[in-house]
Amino acid sequence: MAGVGCGDSPVAWLRIALITMPNPFRLTRLLPASVSLRSALGLMLGVASAYGAEIAPPALRAVDFDQEIRPLLENHCTDCHDGEKQKGQLRLDGVAGILKGGDSGEPLLIRGKSLESNIIRHVTSKNPKEVMPPKGDPLTLEEIGLLRAWIDAGAKMPGEAEAAQSLKLKTDHWSFQPLKRPAVPQGGDGFVRNAVDGFVLAKLKEKNLEPSPAADRSTLIRRLYLVMHGMPPAPQEVEAFVQDARPDAYPRLVDAVLASPRYGERWARHWMDVVRYADTNGFETNRERKTAYPYRDWLIASLNADKPYDQFLREQLAGDQLGADAATGFLVAGAYDLVRSPDVNLSLMQRQDELADMVNTTGTAFMGLTMGCARCHNHKFDPILQKDYYAMQAVFEGVNYGERPLRENADPAAAQELGSWQTKQAALQATLEGFRQKAAGMAEAGKRRPPVNARKNEEILMPVDAVAVRFTIHATSGGEPCLDELEIHDASGKNVAPGGKPTASGTLPGYDIHRLEHLNDGKTGNDHSWISNTPGQGWVQIDFPAPMRLSRIIWSRDREGKLKDRLPVDYVIEAAAEPGKWMRVAGSDDRLPFDGGEAGNAFLTQLPAVEAGLARQVQADLAATTTRISQLKEASKAWVGTFGQPGRTSRLYRGEVTQPREVVAPDVLTVMGTLGMSPDEPESQRRLKFAHWITSPQHPLTARVMVNRLWHYIFGQGIVSTPGDFGKNGSPPSHPELLDWLADELVTSGWSLKAVQRQILLSAAFQQSAAPRAGALTADAGAQFLWRFPPRRMEAEAIRDAMLTVSGSLDLKMGGPGFYLMDVVEENVMHYFAKEKFTPAEFRRMVYQFRIRQTTDSVFSSLDCPDGGQVMPKRSRSNTPLQALNLFNSTFVVQQADLFAERLRQEAGEEPEAQSDRAFKLCYSRLPDAWERQQSAAFIRSEGLTSFCRALYNSSEFLFVF
Amino acid sequence: MHPFLSRRHFLSQTATGLGAIALTQLLAKDRARADAGKTPIRPELNPANPNAARPPHFEPRAKQVLMIFCSGAVSQVDTFDFKPELIKHHGKPMPGAEGLITFQGGQGALTKSPWEFKPRGQSGKMVSDLVPHLGALADEMCFIHSLTGKTNTHGPGENFMGTGNTLDAFPSIGSWLTYALGTANETLPAYVAIPDPRGAPQSAGNFWGSGYLPAAFQGTDFNASKPVRNLARPADFTPQKDRATREFLAKLNRHHLEQFPGDSELAARISSYELAARMQLSVPEVSDIANEPAHILKLYGADAAGNPVQDLKAAYARNCILARRLIEKGVRFVQLFNGAYQTGGEGTSNWDGHKVLKEQYVKHGEVMDQPTAALLTDLKQRGLLKDTLVVWCTEFGRMPTFQQGASGRDHNPAGFTAWLAGAGVKKGFSYGSTDEFGYKAVENVATVYDLHATILDLLGLNHERLTFYHNGLERRLTDVHGQVMRGVLA
Repeated sequence: MAGVGCGDSPVAWLRIALITMPNPFRLTRLLPASVSLRSALGLMLGVASAYGAEIAPPALRAVDFDQEIRPLLENHCTDCHDGEKQKGQLRLDGVAGILKGGDSGEPLLIRGKSLESNIIRHVTSKNPKEVMPPKGDPLTLEEIGLLRAWIDAGAKMPGEAEAAQSLKLKTDHWSFQPLKRPAVPQGGDGFVRNAVDGFVLAKLKEKNLEPSPAADRSTLIRRLYLVMHGMPPAPQEVEAFVQDARPDAYPRLVDAVLASPRYGERWARHWMDVVRYADTNGFETNRERKTAYPYRDWLIASLNADKPYDQFLREQLAGDQLGADAATGFLVAGAYDLVRSPDVNLSLMQRQDELADMVNTTGTAFMGLTMGCARCHNHKFDPILQKDYYAMQAVFEGVNYGERPLRENADPAAAQELGSWQTKQAALQATLEGFRQKAAGMAEAGKRRPPVNARKNEEILMPVDAVAVRFTIHATSGGEPCLDELEIHDASGKNVAPGGKPTASGTLPGYDIHRLEHLNDGKTGNDHSWISNTPGQGWVQIDFPAPMRLSRIIWSRDREGKLKDRLPVDYVIEAAAEPGKWMRVAGSDDRLPFDGGEAGNAFLTQLPAVEAGLARQVQADLAATTTRISQLKEASKAWVGTFGQPGRTSRLYRGEVTQPREVVAPDVLTVMGTLGMSPDEPESQRRLKFAHWITSPQHPLTARVMVNRLWHYIFGQGIVSTPGDFGKNGSPPSHPELLDWLADELVTSGWSLKAVQRQILLSAAFQQSAAPRAGALTADAGAQFLWRFPPRRMEAEAIRDAMLTVSGSLDLKMGGPGFYLMDVVEENVMHYFAKEKFTPAEFRRMVYQFRIRQTTDSVFSSLDCPDGGQVMPKRSRSNTPLQALNLFNSTFVVQQADLFAERLRQEAGEEPEAQSDRAFKLCYSRLPDAWERQQSAAFIRSEGLTSFCRALYNSSEFLFVF
Repeated sequence: MHPFLSRRHFLSQTATGLGAIALTQLLAKDRARADAGKTPIRPELNPANPNAARPPHFEPRAKQVLMIFCSGAVSQVDTFDFKPELIKHHGKPMPGAEGLITFQGGQGALTKSPWEFKPRGQSGKMVSDLVPHLGALADEMCFIHSLTGKTNTHGPGENFMGTGNTLDAFPSIGSWLTYALGTANETLPAYVAIPDPRGAPQSAGNFWGSGYLPAAFQGTDFNASKPVRNLARPADFTPQKDRATREFLAKLNRHHLEQFPGDSELAARISSYELAARMQLSVPEVSDIANEPAHILKLYGADAAGNPVQDLKAAYARNCILARRLIEKGVRFVQLFNGAYQTGGEGTSNWDGHKVLKEQYVKHGEVMDQPTAALLTDLKQRGLLKDTLVVWCTEFGRMPTFQQGASGRDHNPAGFTAWLAGAGVKKGFSYGSTDEFGYKAVENVATVYDLHATILDLLGLNHERLTFYHNGLERRLTDVHGQVMRGVLA
């Protein structure tokens, strides 16, 4: 949509003009210079055909709402659109309903513009799915004329102000209400250890349930480690805790667990589910993103450092401005369709899907809102207007997929090296420029200017007044012409091009880095350039709002000096004193012929031999320097997105790219206020302001959603059991006061996640036994009310990490490029094949897996392990025979069983009883009971130690947390 | 609420008065949530056996589905959509297509099919000589000529046909069906995907993935040459040792369960190992096509050999035989693929004939035609078409024009063909049509959503009511779209 004329473009008033002016040719005088007569006619014909040829003209008199329109609506519309039926959530039985419109998000009417009004579209439509009324008599031509005249005259209705007030969007849904710290229920008994328990116990009493006694220490430490680290504790850690007689033994353990680097690895993996992180692009090409991992490492480091959650969020939205470049990996972590086509609508739709991914993920991850529902119409359940969706889209409109240098992560030595190379580059360029100036002076004497070069060309003009400047290219150094910047200086030396409006013969489609707006946006380099859509040819034009006195024009193809193709070599520059009156002011005909660009040697021919030799040396140095600089810059690049000033965002009727409607400024949900940004707000400001809004302590959703996630990952289910949806369609909280109390704790603790987790982990609710009780199981099978600690199967990653831990083969190396569970074969598309053989390179924690979309590895994908295709705020916990086959038969598990057996032999010797004792301690953090020891030893004796280890790896007690 | 741990399910299995009261409350709550739209019907899942058979919403016309998917976009105007006007206008520009830009660019002239169309069977249906064996079965088929898609890119297009959504990672139609209905066969997976011998389709695992549905409803992918992963006992373990380990594991688990009486998730874990053990016998048995009689192998072309095309045909034919055997065993949803990822260049390993359509399609027709026709014939002669719906489809169609400067056709989602056969659908019938050249659907225009809605309807499922709650939405296979094509129902 960006770049397509829309919103308050000429189109809108043309349509109106059409109504009042019988002779369309008279319109031409009103057209802006950039709209040709032909396109104006095209637009008008488009209007006519879109609405059918015979739309009744508006009545030629004043029309009164109460006298004529209200009865008309009652006659035709209110059978379905009244307070009772509200088809399409539209009411036409009163002023408020007319102002509000239906759930399509489309205003019912646009004052003064009857032909653009939805109501006229529907009552005149030839499409049986669209025409209103769907049954019964259609409106007469006279009635349509009345409606049109009323709308064209401004659609005045009595009592509008009151009706508008009554419509002000508000909500009484619980999650949108301000956060208040509730009082902690008192009167607990021996069970209560902290505030969390006050709330839990009160709810249990309300449900006639009793909590469970405390779990024993070995159970507790295993639970704490599995939940918080995703790995079982080492036997000596269990031993130490069981033996620790200090009264604060458990709080000390909790603190140690929270301080471990394993904590960040575990919780980053949870967050990666929520933000649909993976290491490939997805879709049919599914190429690798080899530099996506810095975002993953940033997550782990941030969580380990207990970075305040508000800062954690802000950096993910606008880290480029907050010294955290890697954090914006969040924005572009989703799947990305690399396959583009010349079909414009297809490309536009793909871009809409990309933006939808960012909007939806931000909505779900940070606010628990299902924004995606409002892409095509007003949200059916929550106070989210369709307009709000596009306002949020506008926030992300300038975000593009791709790599960007990581400034904060740059190795200081490398940064220093880069700096010194850059200093050298500047000096060499200055020296070379000196040679060039001198050559130019000599050329001047010969009446020929130096040849064009890619980096910078200057045209000195005779002072001339102009309303427009046109740059026409007839030939290039190869390919479609490219200009990264066209500066037009006025008499005072000020570049006035950025204030002008650019047009062009055409623009190469499909590239965000090559757009017409880049011509005069003040940004240089190939990534901010215009490229024509015609090989070797094209023109660009800048129209000024008022006449300018011009003195000088500076233009370039790539001011960064990297690229020299596409350089205009045969061109003419014209200025127009008034529209259409072009006069040549500069051109290539008085230049020396182009000879390979700035690395070329044309200018050298103007210099004395000695100086030419020196200049050649400088050129060679400069080339080497430039190469080194780009190498250093590439080395620090990562898949964290790129940013560019976008065009304006329009609301799309039914979410269709072919139906843009009014321009929408970047903003937040209407029901939550406004940030007052302009539709042309600088790109960076959009995300930064949005980030500050979302992390305001007053935001009702941000803290609630996050503490619920913490609860969800600790207990296996959230206080709100739909962690991605805090709207009306989500589940209500089981413990609303507890949720608010925790949310308030999060905010008042300075947004410390660890502080809130500590509270939860120190509660008796967390420390209680997982053993079932018949009555309680019947009343609350899922233990939502926490009458016990609810047991659950661990996630794929925790199971794999636990196997590696127990076998002793786990490599705890942190960070850096991920390891592969797939073999890769590269063609024009990528092929991935699940590995069947594993080496220690793959024995790292699974958070470091190079996760490949759309693939299943040989063991763990079957355990509900998401591939990052969509946000996954809550995983399924399914149970299938394929899981059993994978865990029982895969080469990975058998190999680990072998390693585990080897470890047992080393640590416990050859005695089967000792081996089983050690194995139970490693797997279950406990010793076997007498029956288990006897059975295990007998089994080891008859079937061997590896078979025993294979069985333990498949046992329920190993796969579950209790 | 967790699908396998839903309170409602648990309570419905408990005969206590308290349970009954709570159940009533929960049902009321579900209804309240659904008041805003059509009442969702979410199947009750038994955690111990998520694929246990479940009743449909209403009397079904079909009980099983065989979906044959041709990857790469099969050209309708070279196979089943006969257009005399295309022959007449051969070499002329397509009226109204000036400046039309499709996936790879501009259009050349209208180009008739290199293959002749001939009337087939009693119905006289015109089918091209590219697929003569299938043509001979035209009287069994119900053609839909007016399908339309939403995208003209392969990955999103295959996602759309496979999952009802152009994006990645939505549940496939097979996982929706097994989620709704489970399976009658308890020793085989409920849902089997049979990838082409050359590899996975362009949308890869999305096509048989379960998306946000539980992993229990993922398709299990294997074919006649590549067995189920991890099905076989590891080589280091003798059968005796393997069995002893399984028994020891069961003992350990049951001993542990004594401390957790009534925990259904733990009980389910034990039974999943039992089912896995049964699969270790049943899957190799069903995959073993070596004991099929010679006349069957010949019927399918599984005896073809002599050059790479014939070898490929034989490999695909073996997959077709496997598909029949799975249907025979009562597998609910079988997905058979013809064509794979773009391997070896455009149009080489699938139907993506942009540049040299004739040369490429000769090969693809040879591989696909006889084995697929034999599969249909064999299902029929065994009486399996009575309960099985066969769906032949592709991600979108191709242009009636050749591309500018090429001898092949570009992508075209504006009108393409699929056919149905077997349970519940008309025979020797054609539904909908494209314009005179085969470019755009004009009569009974149908969407992929409509096709999905119709398949669900044939299986006795209301596509508007079969839902799964995910991230704020009662999700459906057909999103908010889809109308059952009543015209194709027998």
